[in-house]
Amino acid sequence: MAKYAMLIDLTRCIGCDACTLACKQENGTPADVFFARVLNAEVGKFPNVKRVYIPVLCNHCDDAPCLKGCPNKAIFKRPDGIVLIDQDRCKGAGACVSACPYGNVYLNTEDTWYLNEDEAYERDHVKPRLTQNKARKCTYCAHRVDEGLDPACVVACPTTARIFGDLDDSESTISRYVVDQEQETGRKPFHLVPQAGTKPTGIYLGTMAAQQSSTLGNSAPIPADLTQEGGDK
Amino acid sequence: MATRHSVPGRFKKAKPLENVRVVRTTDSPNCTGACGWLATVVDDVIVDLKPAADYPCQEYNPRGCLRGMSMTHLIYGPDRVKTPLIREGARGEGKWRKASWDEALDFIASKMISIRDTSGPESMLLFNQVVGTGYVQKGAQVRMAALLGMSFATAYDFNGDISMGFTQTVGIDCVECETKSWAHCKTVILWSSNVFQTRIPDAKFLTTHAKQKNNCQIVCIDPRCSQTAKGADLWLPIHPGTDGALALSMCQVILEKRLVDWKFLQKFTDCACLIREDDGKRLRASDVGMGTDAEFMVWDEAADKLFTLPMDSLKLSDDVRFAFNGVREVEVKGTKVKVRPVFELLEDTIMRPEYSPENVASVTDIPAETIRKLATDFATQRPSSIVIGMGVNHRHDGDLAIRSILLFATLVGAHGKPGESVSIYSGQHHFRLDVSAWWFPEGRRPNNVPMHYFVLGHPTETINPKIKYPKNGFKALFVSHANPLVTEFSGPLKAAIDALDLFVVTDFSMSPTCEYADVVLPAPTFWEKVDLVGTSCHPYLQIQQEVVPPQYDSRTEFWIARELLKRVDPTLNKYFDLTEDDVIELMLKTGGKEVAEITLDQLKAGPVRLNVHDPECGLDEQFHEDKLFPPRAYPFPDGAQRELLKTGRMEFYKEEDSYQKFGETIPLYRGSFRTLNSEEKKLPLTIVTPHSKWRVHSTHSNNPFLLNVNRKPVVEINPRDAIARGINDGDPVAIFNANGEYQLWALVTEAIKPGVLCVDHAWWDRYLISGKYHSVHTHQEIKPTHETYYLPAVYAPGQHWKDVRVDVRKVK
Repeated sequence: MAKYAMLIDLTRCIGCDACTLACKQENGTPADVFFARVLNAEVGKFPNVKRVYIPVLCNHCDDAPCLKGCPNKAIFKRPDGIVLIDQDRCKGAGACVSACPYGNVYLNTEDTWYLNEDEAYERDHVKPRLTQNKARKCTYCAHRVDEGLDPACVVACPTTARIFGDLDDSESTISRYVVDQEQETGRKPFHLVPQAGTKPTGIYLGTMAAQQSSTLGNSAPIPADLTQEGGDK
Repeated sequence: MATRHSVPGRFKKAKPLENVRVVRTTDSPNCTGACGWLATVVDDVIVDLKPAADYPCQEYNPRGCLRGMSMTHLIYGPDRVKTPLIREGARGEGKWRKASWDEALDFIASKMISIRDTSGPESMLLFNQVVGTGYVQKGAQVRMAALLGMSFATAYDFNGDISMGFTQTVGIDCVECETKSWAHCKTVILWSSNVFQTRIPDAKFLTTHAKQKNNCQIVCIDPRCSQTAKGADLWLPIHPGTDGALALSMCQVILEKRLVDWKFLQKFTDCACLIREDDGKRLRASDVGMGTDAEFMVWDEAADKLFTLPMDSLKLSDDVRFAFNGVREVEVKGTKVKVRPVFELLEDTIMRPEYSPENVASVTDIPAETIRKLATDFATQRPSSIVIGMGVNHRHDGDLAIRSILLFATLVGAHGKPGESVSIYSGQHHFRLDVSAWWFPEGRRPNNVPMHYFVLGHPTETINPKIKYPKNGFKALFVSHANPLVTEFSGPLKAAIDALDLFVVTDFSMSPTCEYADVVLPAPTFWEKVDLVGTSCHPYLQIQQEVVPPQYDSRTEFWIARELLKRVDPTLNKYFDLTEDDVIELMLKTGGKEVAEITLDQLKAGPVRLNVHDPECGLDEQFHEDKLFPPRAYPFPDGAQRELLKTGRMEFYKEEDSYQKFGETIPLYRGSFRTLNSEEKKLPLTIVTPHSKWRVHSTHSNNPFLLNVNRKPVVEINPRDAIARGINDGDPVAIFNANGEYQLWALVTEAIKPGVLCVDHAWWDRYLISGKYHSVHTHQEIKPTHETYYLPAVYAPGQHWKDVRVDVRKVK
């Protein structure tokens, strides 16, 4: 059986949020619900400041606390590793929301939407797909995976920073990528918040950019003119 | 390919959908990315957009971005213009009458007829944005203007995107390598270019290819730790407006370290051309009885005599060795005249002590050792490229800065190879084929007048005589694909509109510019109409399909032009007696060598690569086929640019009287903000306005999907500046100077240089607390050297938006 995983290469990622929007479109999520999103942080003080982008989504943990926490046994893990919330069994208790150390489960008592109510696009093609007051999260696009397609965030990523695949298959793109990158660029895969101990299937590779800066560090005043009169004569 | 399942329960197999179509198309927004999409359509509703990822050159796959895929929320968005609207109250009052097309068109046509008969057709001005994408629909508007004898203002120069530094140096206003070429780089300087936000589909060539595969050194020069700085090895927070000083200092390093590529200079530049000391002009063959006044002289050291530069090809015999130094004396019509090569004049400037890295460090705030290392790395760790952003160009001396950057790269010969170029991706008006047969029927062209003169309300004293300012002034303005009351300095523009008899705006969203119109005509989005799309980012020609019919009561620009023409002058009907497919076939047939043998059927099957070099490195005909500079600027005939670049080489010396008069014959740095008066100079802060990933200019400002992740307009401010003004993160603040004021919210961040503010470009007014974005920027100003010649959007006045200083204060 497969063991699906999502690798995100932070050297390739440009923090563009194409994943965020592709996911919203594919899954028809309402306003403020983001199965995939990009954390945008700045670290340090000027001029030694770095921008950091970390795309996040459900980690489909092997030891998923949401699954254990659900009082209605609505959350299950498929044999291929994908963790799903059964929308029929979910009663909106919200234990999974509290249990997830990554903050990737969403529960709205009332969904809000984007367009005017009479627009067929949202009314007929988006809204019917989700029910409010149910816990919802990334499914690794299980419906696409079952048809042999990659998740929407993967096919939409313009820098091919996301690689989805089967870690049990040593010849899969994701397995080979992990091995090759360790050899070629010396980068080892890591998980976010490993101390949570949930055995996430989301894998990251670090950025190769040195992200240094060089400046005298002055405020930008009106610089003294180099050539007082100007002109080349 | 879309799958239309619900988020699962225990996976009941979903019913297959009926009435599903999947259409391969391309979009044509003003980012000009021209990305291929697969649109899934159910019951004639677009329900899903995914990258087509079908470019024959695999590295390009996938193309697309968050803006492209969010178009569903503009197509069906709440601001969609659904019917023609005719103004009822005063301009901008917001009182409208819904009208039928017949009513709206009759109304416009009757005004047009009256203006034509009383003031002349040239009093009616067409302004449509970014004509380089969408050759059919935008072309229909220009064709109508040409047939009626209307005036036409190219948007590119009005936007300030025209890069006159390129025109002055290479005879065309911008040069772009195809982005695939970046993949080869070992050194990249992103000079105020923020490609991670503005060229999202192309950024992979820096990250996934250049960085990951070549461990390319990526350097960002930007006062702000831009999103692209995230992927850079080195970020240089430069003082805004001092880029030219940095470039010239880097030139000094190259000369000092003897890293000059002399063979390159000899063949491709004017550096050996002899300049007469008496009149500052080039020594011509006619001066010394060796040819015509269109031929130029150099000194051949190998033969120790004058040599006439060939004007049929860049090819030179291996035997010649041009002199780059030394004063010589020649006899011109009986008089002895001293001449010196251009290079020596350049050297005199570059080697001035003020351009030493130590001195330039204090000007730019970049340490001297960094300047030395950057210049040396660029010269020695090849291939090396520079990508220039608009922050350098949108300034009074932006042309000088770009000439200096080009000089730096040219001294080391960094052009014309994979991974070697100086690119500026602003050439969005550039045509990939000759569109003349469609745009200019029987050679009739509209009366080109730069928009600047419309806004000024009069010609300048120095206006180029080729520009025919309408004798009775302007009476009507037609705006399309544009939102100038947001994206341009709007005060004087509004005043110019106030003086008009007719102001018509065609758009799919009710933009702030629409709100000021007399008549608003509902256009389809680019998902609802056919077009032929090219771009300078990649060399694929694509068809834009009518994925769904024009929505609501919208009509294509092609249809509108035909209907207006029918009403204004029925004798011209025959010029629109064809279909959009006919137009595409006409352009393919007459478009020139780049599209030779490309057919409509091929395009309908998918993207087709133009007949260009692979990879396109920019200026390929010059660097690989020895053709004289400049490359032809479609839709102008071959040779139209010769007067701008008489030597046929990269010109680092401009001999024209205007350049001599204003002291800009060679690239130099004249100080930042030098055009401001003493009061303006006292303001403590400067402001940058980069494009953000959330919008394409002002398009998507109102996209509810994107507003969900980018909720309100902020000004980025360093804590040092914020604390000094009592501003906390999230506070409402006003940005102000003598030009105007607007209010928004503060984002206190370490990612911006102290002394600099940053507001991302083109928020619609209604999202601000008050005022108008752009209201603090520079008024209409024209640099006189930009009027020396005129070729629309190639040699024309630019804009200097960013030469402003401001302050910020907390508001209640």
